[in-house]
Amino acid sequence: MADKCLVEPNLEFIKEVVGLGGDTLKKCFQCATCSVVCPIAPDNKPFPRKEMIAASWGLKDKLVGSMDIWLCHNCGDCTTMCPRGAKPGDVLGAIRSYAISEYAVPKFIGKAVNDPKKLPVLLGLPVVIFLVLGFITGLLDFTPGGDKIVHSNFFSSWLVDMIFVPLAAWAVVVFGIGLKRFVNDMHENAVLEGKTDKKKLEIGGLIRGLFSVIPTILKHSKFSECDENKERATAHLMVFYSFIGLFIVTNIFFVVLYVFQIHGPYSQMNPVKWLANVSGIALIIGSALMIKNRMGKTDQVTSYKDWYLLILVLGLGATGMLTEMTRLAGIAGLSYALYFIHLMFVFHLFIFLPFSKLAHLVYRTVAMAYGEYGNR
Amino acid sequence: MDKKYGVYICTGCGIGDVLDTEGLCGVPKEEGIGVKTHPFLCGKEGVELLKKDIADDGINTLIIAGCSRRVNFDVFNFAGCIVDRVNLREQVVWSHPRSEFPALTEEQKDDGEHFDRLQMLAEDYIKMGMAKVEKIDLPEPSMLETISKRILVIGGGITGISAAIDAAKAGYDVTIVEKEASLGGNAAKIRKQLPNEDPFESLIPPIIEAKIKEAEAYSGIEVKTNSIVARIAGQPGEFTVTLKKPGEATEFDVPYPLPDEMKVDENGKELDVEKLIEVYNEYNKGKKDILTLDPDGELFGAVILAAGWRPDKLEGKAFTHLGFGKLPDVVTNYQFEEIAAKGKITRPSDGNEAKSVVFIQSPGKGDDDSDFDYTGSVTSLVALKQAQYVREDYPEGKAYIFYQHMRTPGLQENFYKSIQQDEGIFLTKGDVISVAKNGDGLIVEADNTLLGEKIQVKADMVVLAAGMVPATVDDPVINLAYRQGPGFRDNAIFNEYADSNFICFPYETQRTGIYAAGCIRRSMTIEESIEDATGAALKAIQCIESVNRGVAVHPRSGDMTFPDFFFQRCTQCKRCTEECPFGALDDDEKGTPKPNPTRCRRCGTCMGACPERIIGFADYNIDSIGSMVKAIGVPSEDDYSEPPLRFLGLVCENDAYPALDIAGMNKLTYSADVRFIPVRCLGSVNVIWIKDALSQGMDGIFLLGCKHGDDYQCHFVKGSELADIRMKKIGEALTSLALEEERVAQFQVAIDEYDKIPEIVNTFVEMVEKLGPNPFKGF
Ligand code: SF4
Ligand code: SF4
Ligand code: SF4
Ligand code: SF4
Repeated sequence: MADKCLVEPNLEFIKEVVGLGGDTLKKCFQCATCSVVCPIAPDNKPFPRKEMIAASWGLKDKLVGSMDIWLCHNCGDCTTMCPRGAKPGDVLGAIRSYAISEYAVPKFIGKAVNDPKKLPVLLGLPVVIFLVLGFITGLLDFTPGGDKIVHSNFFSSWLVDMIFVPLAAWAVVVFGIGLKRFVNDMHENAVLEGKTDKKKLEIGGLIRGLFSVIPTILKHSKFSECDENKERATAHLMVFYSFIGLFIVTNIFFVVLYVFQIHGPYSQMNPVKWLANVSGIALIIGSALMIKNRMGKTDQVTSYKDWYLLILVLGLGATGMLTEMTRLAGIAGLSYALYFIHLMFVFHLFIFLPFSKLAHLVYRTVAMAYGEYGNR
Repeated sequence: MDKKYGVYICTGCGIGDVLDTEGLCGVPKEEGIGVKTHPFLCGKEGVELLKKDIADDGINTLIIAGCSRRVNFDVFNFAGCIVDRVNLREQVVWSHPRSEFPALTEEQKDDGEHFDRLQMLAEDYIKMGMAKVEKIDLPEPSMLETISKRILVIGGGITGISAAIDAAKAGYDVTIVEKEASLGGNAAKIRKQLPNEDPFESLIPPIIEAKIKEAEAYSGIEVKTNSIVARIAGQPGEFTVTLKKPGEATEFDVPYPLPDEMKVDENGKELDVEKLIEVYNEYNKGKKDILTLDPDGELFGAVILAAGWRPDKLEGKAFTHLGFGKLPDVVTNYQFEEIAAKGKITRPSDGNEAKSVVFIQSPGKGDDDSDFDYTGSVTSLVALKQAQYVREDYPEGKAYIFYQHMRTPGLQENFYKSIQQDEGIFLTKGDVISVAKNGDGLIVEADNTLLGEKIQVKADMVVLAAGMVPATVDDPVINLAYRQGPGFRDNAIFNEYADSNFICFPYETQRTGIYAAGCIRRSMTIEESIEDATGAALKAIQCIESVNRGVAVHPRSGDMTFPDFFFQRCTQCKRCTEECPFGALDDDEKGTPKPNPTRCRRCGTCMGACPERIIGFADYNIDSIGSMVKAIGVPSEDDYSEPPLRFLGLVCENDAYPALDIAGMNKLTYSADVRFIPVRCLGSVNVIWIKDALSQGMDGIFLLGCKHGDDYQCHFVKGSELADIRMKKIGEALTSLALEEERVAQFQVAIDEYDKIPEIVNTFVEMVEKLGPNPFKGF
């Protein structure tokens, strides 16, 4: 008992959240306007006021393992209505960033992703790996030649897979480790604060919860409940679906290559190609819209993390499409160079996925599933 | 003065359209008094008419029937003339539409059955005005022979010094009396001070030293340290003050009234007068009587009471759950300030650094969420300030504030905001349940916090937000040589703060000429105390200048009248001395009252109290109101087959009379059978008026005045309460006469409750109508 309710403010935590874009958190005077206006918060123990005071008291354990910080979709209604300018939406965003780096191991990677000073190293990493592995295996050919531009002649598909299949596995493992802790913490916190009626955590129930929230996620219905950042829903939806599209395309490529031994590039008439092209364009437009929205919102803090991610996503789409366009236009040198850069972006996406803000797609999904399961 | 009367009836503002003006003119004509009407009496032409009559015909007593006396009083003000205003507008025509109170048709006139209620009302009011002016005189100011314009400031803290500076700036000589060896008071004992100017964000160094220097530069300010007041005798304009060293006993120490238990013998029987005097003299042995003036005393015109506060000691069981008194590291905010003023914050128990400090604003326990006694916004602000000390002293320090109320009024909100920004300061609302020992530190447990149901916090030190107890709790301080006692009377309703009305009259205490400022009035910050000091200094100056002109200070500012006593008939009953809310009367050893006109606020409570009816004012006395009552026509069955009942309403002119006027302005309607007479205060209502009215055949009488009780609104503190007691007594007398006691009542109304007037009046009228007419009617 004594330990459970002992509160010990963690000044470091406060400092970090402040650094992650939550610099307004101490302004809150607990009026609860935010919890009232939040379109998503449930009636029982609503957020984000309790998160605001917990944050200003530096109660890290109460926050990083809380499902509520993930239920928030950062719509910004609370930030607009807060009479003190405490920007609860942004503070929750900062806490989420903190939580991601808390659960993703090894932690130094998370730190590096959040540190602008480390950017050159991070950019150099894929280049070095590509070149070293390429030279050792000889799968990188700087003089591909031929009258048709075939990217795998330059950067062999074997090399691509040699690098990216382990990377994908890495992401899965890192997520797995993080999620295990996260789910346990989340349950413990929910029981302690009376946010669930479940005493014991059952994985089966959690998975059923996951299935029932999928339609909500696919429809983005939580987003459309918000007033303030409505236009964000479209952009987010585009990026979200394009990732799903590209995920499908990549898997088809993989299967077709290894099972049917058919090599790309595919004809523009192929429906898989259509999906790829549509997704690519949606990714560019969606991420560009996100950047535009961000720049328009002067009252919302945009941290380095946000920029890193936005540029990563935009770059991913842009280099992908440009590679294809230059290929069709027959500008060989440029096309190969763009392909190389494109692969750098993909590398970043894979290796840093569990450490970057993008990890929210996993944490939020699991938190929503838990919320559904635990009757939040 | 030889009175030459003139009645002037204004027919404007709808009056002429509703009333039969000719009929009204008949009233004065019948008495042989000249009467004129005018369609716009307050206009230039109308006033010219009045001036011409005054100049040419020697008219000096004017009865002006038209609008309420509360408007155009400056227009109808003529030097050397008695003017009475008959309220035909607000209280007759505006509040009684013809649709409900129809005029008579030709056939109905004089048929012995029908009557015009409204016309009767207006005619009665004119008769009452005429009766009144016959009985009143122009007041003459009561002047003191000599007057002192010096101001005595009791207390040399921030408030007293500021008040002295303000008064000195205005050209008045001031003496500051300070009980300690040096000036400064509590303001000189702090490490830092709350912000006092824009942007109100950060703490500042204490300003008291600079204030003391500023005061020293004024030659008009005299400082007496190591001194307290032994007695203040006399009255505003000529207070005779005896000072002494603290703890010293002098023959001019003020005598104290006998405590109740000494007024009875061992069997509980009241002592007779001689025995009482004997006991009293024994009790106050060695002290001169209050009426003996100290020949060496210094004269002052007015007093500013700035005696300030002492820290609450938090004695008793109520705080054991907080470990206070048991755990040495649980201290009050005052003790914490003392530690902070000395240097780094360390624990009293072992002198170790206190890096984690919990500030508790409310004692908690049970459902009671109130703060400690004698606290206020200043204690909230002090907690914020002291939390900042912890952070100043230790970069890794943590300060927690548990509050039920966080009060940061005005621009101090900026200070609150800036403190909140500090990463190491944590605030939450919550009930503190306990403070206990935890290893070599402390652990604080709280419930219902914003962070969750129950939480615990480890602390090196705990600080309780104890209150600022006004000096008047321990001691009368002012030591007035007044028969009613040396301090403020029945002050418990103000928790012993020096006050007389929480809302309406700041600075004004229950004693005229004594103006309170600073923490003696309520807990205040230094900034607030400085502002308060200005207010009290201005009041003291107003008092001196009013005394200088022989007029009242407050609330009847400028009133020249004062109570006159016809002593030959005084029975020494002492009622006036005891009931005067302001202790203005001192009786001598025989019990004959000694008036002190400049202490008096002209409320008339003494006049209401006197059973011999020998107290009165030039323009307001037993006879003037009594004659108005007698002037009211009481129709009987001889006049009409079913005569209307007749009611008298005695209304307080401070709140109730304006409420009546406002009801009229809003066209609210009530019975036309009630005749209203404004009185200075319900306390001035003498029961003889009620007896007269009843014996005259009136059917019901009610008093309409301010709220009384703990949250009273009476302008004269006790007037409406005393009236209530008297009315209850009169009820008993009525029963003995076989008259229903319900016929006499008292109602409370605030100035903004004008919308309740119709209901109050009509319910009473209907109730009496059910009782039937006064059985003594016609006798
Ligand atoms: S609206 Fe702002 S000040 Fe109010 S509780 Fe929410 S964050 Fe705090
Ligand atoms: S940002 Fe939107 S969803 Fe998140 S707490 Fe605020 S109002 Fe709720
Ligand atoms: S009762 Fe009122 S009028 Fe009479 S002496 Fe006291 S203050 Fe003056
Ligand atoms: S109340 Fe009247 S009779 Fe009694 S002491 Fe006062 S003046 Fe004399």
